Amino acid sequence: MTDETVVEARELVVRYGDFTAVNKVSFSVRRGEIFGFLGANGAGKTTTIRVLCGVLPPTEGWVRVAGTGYEDGENAIKAKVGYMSQKFTLYNDLTVGENLDFTASLRKLDPGYYAKRRQELLDIISFGKGLDAFVQDLSGGTKQQVSLAAAMLHDPEIVFLDEPTAGVTPAGRVRFWKLIHRVAESGKTVFVTTHYMDEAEQCGRIALMREGRLVAMDSPAGLKASAFPEQVFEFEPLQELSFSRMGEFQNHEAFSFFEPYGHRFHAAAANPEAWRRWKPELEKTFCIRPIAPSLEDVFIRMVEDRP
Amino acid sequence: MTFAWPRAAAVARKEWFHIRRDPFTMTLALVMPLVMVVIYGVAIDFNVKNVRLSVSDSDQTQASRRLIDTFSSSGYFRVRRDFSPNQTVEDVVAERARAALIIPPQFEKDIWSGRTTRAQILLDGADNSTVVPVSQYVGAIQTLASERIAGADMTPPYDLRTRFLFNPELNSRWFIIPGVIVVIMAILSIFLTSMTVAREWENGSMELLLSTPVEPLEIIVGKAAPYAFLGALAVVFVYIIARAAFGVPFRGHIWVFGLGCLIFLLTYLAQGLFISIATKQQTLAMQFSMLTGMMPSVILSGFVFPIASMPKFFWYFTMLLPARWFMIISRHCFLEGSSFFELSVPFAALSLSCLGMTALAARRFKRTLE
Repeated sequence: MTDETVVEARELVVRYGDFTAVNKVSFSVRRGEIFGFLGANGAGKTTTIRVLCGVLPPTEGWVRVAGTGYEDGENAIKAKVGYMSQKFTLYNDLTVGENLDFTASLRKLDPGYYAKRRQELLDIISFGKGLDAFVQDLSGGTKQQVSLAAAMLHDPEIVFLDEPTAGVTPAGRVRFWKLIHRVAESGKTVFVTTHYMDEAEQCGRIALMREGRLVAMDSPAGLKASAFPEQVFEFEPLQELSFSRMGEFQNHEAFSFFEPYGHRFHAAAANPEAWRRWKPELEKTFCIRPIAPSLEDVFIRMVEDRP
Repeated sequence: MTFAWPRAAAVARKEWFHIRRDPFTMTLALVMPLVMVVIYGVAIDFNVKNVRLSVSDSDQTQASRRLIDTFSSSGYFRVRRDFSPNQTVEDVVAERARAALIIPPQFEKDIWSGRTTRAQILLDGADNSTVVPVSQYVGAIQTLASERIAGADMTPPYDLRTRFLFNPELNSRWFIIPGVIVVIMAILSIFLTSMTVAREWENGSMELLLSTPVEPLEIIVGKAAPYAFLGALAVVFVYIIARAAFGVPFRGHIWVFGLGCLIFLLTYLAQGLFISIATKQQTLAMQFSMLTGMMPSVILSGFVFPIASMPKFFWYFTMLLPARWFMIISRHCFLEGSSFFELSVPFAALSLSCLGMTALAARRFKRTLE
């Protein structure tokens, strides 16, 4: 990763009629960085990506992507970026070769360059099947990897991955993230949205979006520190806890944060005095131990806004 | 915006792969024209023949026999004789016969004595499709029978002869098959285009396509081209069957017909595109294609039901339908050998529809992307 900025958005606004999907969003991304973009559904992530991919001109504000902007024409941006969406990857009834040929044709790649680049990318993703394999016969993980190869055929400087591992098995997700790291190490910038917090932990920096606004942006550790200045504890119930009792704790004066985490709970103390007062009582119900907050805690507190 | 043919060709090639591997599309494109030509060409005949006629002859004279013979020798009626008047009516009610002829006693005697005599024809009015042509036959047969019964004395002072231009034998197939071309083209172009573009919206691939330098117009041209090819193939296919199997004449200029096909195809491709953009769902696109493409081309284009006899509102409404104008072009090219100049009005109307629909689809597509 270098200090060179490859993606920059300033005061970005996108409106659909009266609805403001993205509201004065500013950020920058460095070359070779894996940049995570997190937010609830409808937070404005995909709209921002569409702007950065050259698909949707902003209503207001300014973007610069690999040295180009909308003032240079949408195709100038499109030439510098690769895009892989969660909703659609490859045409199932076409072979791998036909899918790659199609993408190469749309980008008018030189046949010699294309053949070399295709082989290079298939080697990177360790694609073991032939080009004549039908996409419908591939596993979800392999399909995503081939889709990434298709998005990178024209050697883009930035790759936008919109929930790339949705619906992929855990093993497939691990393999895909190894690939993302390899891509970043080769000097490409990876801009990724995901709902998996373990994946988000692997990003260099994360931006959190909420209702069209950027609410925080930092490294995973930085976000945890800023979201939870207070100590976080894990509460393991000594006996099964009913829903009504869970509600009691969520509104308890001792906690500023109390959320289920599997069969346990993560909680942050509201203030040291209340915490000291209530701790002996709480220890009758829970086994309590101090922990570092998870990214999921950060997401719940900052994006879903449960103080 | 620069249009790049290689990119449009790439989209077309990709679309062709989809078509080749989709049994539904291939069946629709290849089998549907054949089925439609067979159904409309063989099964549908506007000339009603072999109408079962139940006859009650209470006169049993030479005159009554000549009247019955005129019916049976016309080729349109199959006569069942020697029933009582009540039986003939029962035959019609029980649908053993479509019509009944009741000849009263004194039929011949009344003719020769100069008194008006009344033989009665009963027709099954519940079957409207049969009763209209049959009543026309009855009128012609009455004239012929009068001549035969009365001999030379009944020869009228003038001879009004009817000749049917362009289709002397009133062969239904000559009339129907040029219309089948219109219906097939309408279905193939509007239905398949709307489905294929809606599919790209539905599965999210349209967004992925638009993240590449491909222009919207290149997508449209590329996606429409294979279906235009299929439509053109269907026209050639039906043309060959029409000429070789059904002997339908083609008296016009092939280029005039070809131009009409092209404009009609473009119009319905644009309409299919408009539907797909508006619905963005394959099931909805299919329903709207049926509603706005297939149904009007069958019902309101003059294909089977004459436009002239429609209520005024529908008569004006059909003017908005491209199928109405292409129906005229197709039939005139096949049967009448009309020139481009003679068909200038339908061509102008069809071209206007084409421009309007293309502009509408392009505008909607642009707004959707924005």
